[in-house]
Amino acid sequence: MRPLIVWHIFRKDLVETFRDRRTLFTTLVLPLVVYPLLFTAVGSFTSNKRQQVEATPARVAVWGPVPERAVEAVLKEKATVVDRRASVPLHLEAEAQKAVGDKTVDVVLVTPDGAVGPSVPVKVYADSTQFESDAMQDRVLKVLRKHTAVLLEERMVALGQPAISARPLQVDEEDLSNPARRAASVVGSILPYMVLVLLASAAFYSALDMTAGEKERGTLQTLLTAPVHAVEVVAGKYLAVVTMTLVAALANIVSLGLAIGRILSADATGQGFHMGPRVGLALFLTLLPAALLLSSLFIAVGVLARTYKEGQSYLMPLLLLVVFAAVGSTLPGVELTPVLALVPLTNVALLMRELLSGRATLFLGTEVIISSFAYAAMGVVLAARVFETEQVLLSGEKPWKDIFSRKAKGGLTPINTLFFVALLVVVVFYGTVPLMLAVTKEQVGRAIVMSELGFFLLPALLWALLLRVPLKDAFQLRLPTRRGLLGTLLLACGGWAVGLAVGSVLSRFQGAQDYSEQLGELLGKNGPLSMTMAVLLVGLLPAVCEEACFRGVVLTGLARSGSRGLAVVGSALAFGLFHINPYHVAAATTLGLVLGYAAYESRSLLPGVLMHFVNNGLQMVLLRMPQVRGFFESFVVVGVGLLVTVLALWLLRGSGKKAAHDAGLSPHGPAGPVRA
Amino acid sequence: MIEAQGLTKRYAGVEAATDVSFRVAKGEVVGLLGPNGAGKTTVLRMLAGILTPSSGEATVDGHAASTDAFALKRSLGFLTGDTALYQRLSPREVLRYFGRLNSMEEGLLKSRIETLVQSFQMQDFADRPCGKLSAGQKQRANVARAFLHDPPALILDEPTTALDVITGRFLLNAIREERGRGKAILFSTHVLGDAETLCDRVVLLHQGRVLDDGTVPEVIARSGARTLTDAFLSRIGEAA
Repeated sequence: MRPLIVWHIFRKDLVETFRDRRTLFTTLVLPLVVYPLLFTAVGSFTSNKRQQVEATPARVAVWGPVPERAVEAVLKEKATVVDRRASVPLHLEAEAQKAVGDKTVDVVLVTPDGAVGPSVPVKVYADSTQFESDAMQDRVLKVLRKHTAVLLEERMVALGQPAISARPLQVDEEDLSNPARRAASVVGSILPYMVLVLLASAAFYSALDMTAGEKERGTLQTLLTAPVHAVEVVAGKYLAVVTMTLVAALANIVSLGLAIGRILSADATGQGFHMGPRVGLALFLTLLPAALLLSSLFIAVGVLARTYKEGQSYLMPLLLLVVFAAVGSTLPGVELTPVLALVPLTNVALLMRELLSGRATLFLGTEVIISSFAYAAMGVVLAARVFETEQVLLSGEKPWKDIFSRKAKGGLTPINTLFFVALLVVVVFYGTVPLMLAVTKEQVGRAIVMSELGFFLLPALLWALLLRVPLKDAFQLRLPTRRGLLGTLLLACGGWAVGLAVGSVLSRFQGAQDYSEQLGELLGKNGPLSMTMAVLLVGLLPAVCEEACFRGVVLTGLARSGSRGLAVVGSALAFGLFHINPYHVAAATTLGLVLGYAAYESRSLLPGVLMHFVNNGLQMVLLRMPQVRGFFESFVVVGVGLLVTVLALWLLRGSGKKAAHDAGLSPHGPAGPVRA
Repeated sequence: MIEAQGLTKRYAGVEAATDVSFRVAKGEVVGLLGPNGAGKTTVLRMLAGILTPSSGEATVDGHAASTDAFALKRSLGFLTGDTALYQRLSPREVLRYFGRLNSMEEGLLKSRIETLVQSFQMQDFADRPCGKLSAGQKQRANVARAFLHDPPALILDEPTTALDVITGRFLLNAIREERGRGKAILFSTHVLGDAETLCDRVVLLHQGRVLDDGTVPEVIARSGARTLTDAFLSRIGEAA
């Protein structure tokens, strides 16, 4: 893939899109109009309506022998009797419904014919679906309850008791929320839904125009006649759709911020919101993976259509799915939980709601963003596959078999590695939930074995077998050269210092300290594992399983791009992401960079396995032997360890080239399928 | 220069092209003639490297589509009824875009665009959106796009269809000039008069198969007809 060609395609698509008024309207104008309307126009309308109703007398119908004093009490509180009947009509409810439905009456007071005695029934009929009738019923009920209290007091006095004895309990209701917070709660539950739907609309129109639209206009074929690869076309178009979707996201956030800001200065409605620059940034980061996912899905589905109209009919169900996912976040009682954080798009809407109400947590936020990125990666792979199917691009036929069950031809590639990581994220996150529920603290050893084997080693093994890549190549199962071996040994001796140095920086954060304490309780000397088991299960097992997965399959696949940076940074990021806790993610990613560099340069899994084992094993030892902790964490020892690591990496640099050459491998790394 | 060797394309059991073979040499214009549905577009797409043949090989300037479709596309200017222009870009922007996709050096691209704007008489509309151009203006811009990177081979599918006489003649002259510059040109048309006056050889295609391949007089003689149109109808009638 040539970045410059991708850039040209991206720029052209963006220019064209910005010249399309329809897309521009959906992307930029609509968000700028919707929020001010929602916050001001709708708010103002509701407020005006309420004031109007409060100032208007209630139109009351009085049917049957309703006590006269009760009627008088009602009439004193802004009410007029518009219909008075001495007896109750035969079809009471039907007539009441008609009177209220015709809007000639707001409420109907009814006392059944012949009702007398110490307790006279008075029914107040109203239609709660009508704003005026509902408000007037509240008013009349309040008056009647007050009047009942007065009557009770009169009876107590008549019985020679003080009037106050009519109120044995003085009950008053107090709502802790103020009107501003109540309004904020309602609007805050709707906003994420609206933002997501507007975002999807922006992706919808951009993707449709760049795929089905181009096919209909014949320009997609024109593009294919140029010397460009399908993957460059999809990359350029994808970036353009993502850009337009992100522009829509920005427009949404800016408009939202401005609308809330204006209301905060003029009204109390915005007081329940938290919408500073930090929340704005967090919202944008939350919307980013949603934009990536929506763009990839819309492009993949859009290109299946032959015409713009056909594309609309294909994409509409997808848009409806987005609406359903977003609606889930508006349901009462639905909160962001570890499980809901895995549900695509609903998780984004829920996280936005948490962010706006200031209740978001780092853990769930990270889970939402990681899982959303994973879904987005799968969407990108799907889009790339569709674009590589020439029948789809040229004729509009849909050879599903070719798209979904095409046999892998190129072994491990950067694209299918991206898909593998995305798949792994989903497997790990969904797999962790039942594991956490099923396993007690005492069974932590079993949980580690199950997760290391089931989440990392087995999927990596299956992936290599599925792509028919020799295990020796997929997992870089070869010994380093003599120089590389020396580097490997030094890395094992000093590499742990990287982990300690990063840990020392992170320990300044309270969250990292808390996480460290939790790990200490679980894996330390008070935990269920013996020292030997802790070193074996937390040191050796991950060193083998995680290295096989990340420095094996993932790094090897990414290395096929020919870019060392992509291979090392990509595999480190993937490795880091699977550590879930944000602080652990940062530490693991840093370690992953060193492990990845060592594996890439030596073309061997061994340096990573040894360093990983010593690093994790030492952590277990330090948890149980705090007396030596000070020594290992001292500035001098860590410094020496880091120097040894640098020396080790220098020795490892380029050491694998000879091994690769001897094995007849390409400089991009061994990843081809088995030649049957 | 342009060579089809046993090109066959099957779609879900149906053969759109069967064992199609012919050759276009340097400085030669070959007409690919056939009724609607004859398989012309399929053959042209295979030759252009955008459709993979079920069997056979397409070669342009020595580059085989199966092994180096990329180099093949660089050696080819391709224009069919399905290759349209971007409605919201101007002809000049379209040319710049395709020049960049062909990795042309910026200075060379700029001068080449100016040359084409002049020679295709596009000065009046070169900066107007393509969506607002007439059919003739669009086709001039489209042919300019195909000629832009000065490829040694050209495939032009019905470039004169739906054009007025002046624009049609203008384009035919442009094609002649390219032939004069030694380019191999595969020219597909429904207008048999154009084929008769322009093409050095013609290939008759019907139901995905080559019915005849030769110079216009040869094809006429073999069919026993008097004109190319009669020869065309006669061969198709025989095949049916």
